[in-house]
Amino acid sequence: MDFHEESSPALAFEKDAFELTVEDVYDISYVVGRDLLRISRTGEEVSDLQFRIVRVLEMFETMVNKYNLSLEELKMERDNLKSELDRVVTESSTGQETQAVGANQMVVDLSDPNRPRFTMQELKEVLQERNQLKAQLMVAQEELQLYKSGILPQGKSAMVEVDLDAPAQNGAAAINDAKEEKTTIGKL
Amino acid sequence: MAKKTYDLLFKLLLIGDSGVGKTCVLFRFSDDAFNTTFISTIGIDFKIKTVELQGKKIKLQIWDTAGQERFHTITTSYYRGAMGIMLVYDITNAKSFENISKWLRNIDEHANEDVERMLLGNKCDMEDKRVVPKAKGEQIAREHGIRFFETSAKANINIEKAFLTLAEDILRKTPVKEPNSENVDISSGSGVTGWKSKCCS
Repeated sequence: MDFHEESSPALAFEKDAFELTVEDVYDISYVVGRDLLRISRTGEEVSDLQFRIVRVLEMFETMVNKYNLSLEELKMERDNLKSELDRVVTESSTGQETQAVGANQMVVDLSDPNRPRFTMQELKEVLQERNQLKAQLMVAQEELQLYKSGILPQGKSAMVEVDLDAPAQNGAAAINDAKEEKTTIGKL
Repeated sequence: MAKKTYDLLFKLLLIGDSGVGKTCVLFRFSDDAFNTTFISTIGIDFKIKTVELQGKKIKLQIWDTAGQERFHTITTSYYRGAMGIMLVYDITNAKSFENISKWLRNIDEHANEDVERMLLGNKCDMEDKRVVPKAKGEQIAREHGIRFFETSAKANINIEKAFLTLAEDILRKTPVKEPNSENVDISSGSGVTGWKSKCCS
């Protein structure tokens, strides 16, 4: 009989302290109260103890209540922050291509030492100069070869072939060509 | 009398998708060498090679362009001066073949009207990786009335033949000048801007 009666409220004693609910505290106080009642039937010195135990159980109730509420609050707070973070992350990843920067623009990382930083015009000029110097070197090498082999008499430079006119800019190219040609011929 | 170094100067241009082997084709022709490491051409580069055709010394100034789209504005500005253009695709790369029409349009837009064109299907040594049949190359070349070769810079197949054929085609169109007609009118803008006669000074 006893065993059967105690089985359900007494289970609260076996629970993990952090899992306790207020209902469990009521179960505990029920069991403790019942046990106290049995003792008080035999003597009367237990009444003071009984009040203290009730007081402790009340404090226990408050603490469990408070703990569970705080836990619930923190869980809600955490979930809110999580969804906020997700929102910010997706916004920044999609926003980079669509809203903050136009469709045909790109983001340049200014701390990247290998970032693009010269204009097409600058590259064009550098390449033109490189190719011009290369052509001049070839001409010089060719002339040197001729001087070395004794084919060319000193002081008579007939081999000026700087023909590396700037890339044809339509009309300007022909004039450029002609100009260079004249200087070549002039040296003959 | 000074010895002239060349009779004619032909300016050629190599175009085509990035990675089809334009630089390698040129390197094989100019230096008879091949390099397996891929270095993307920055903008525009050139090489010089002098050949002899029909008893004439012809200096070929061959412009090598970057195939990458980002250099497009730089490379197209070199089309105008070219007398011959080699359009290269890669027989193992279908996309490079599909883009031929795009490159031909570029030629129409930016090059001289009488520019001599040629189509090259490069990397023909890689038969096991071929995705563009030779017949398709021949067909598109026929449609546009231009010459076609399958080449391999690596295995040195048809490289010299292609350049010499292109040079011959240009030479055929070049009006023959008498040796004493030096100081030719080079402002005419025709295909003889490279003509120079330096003998008999």
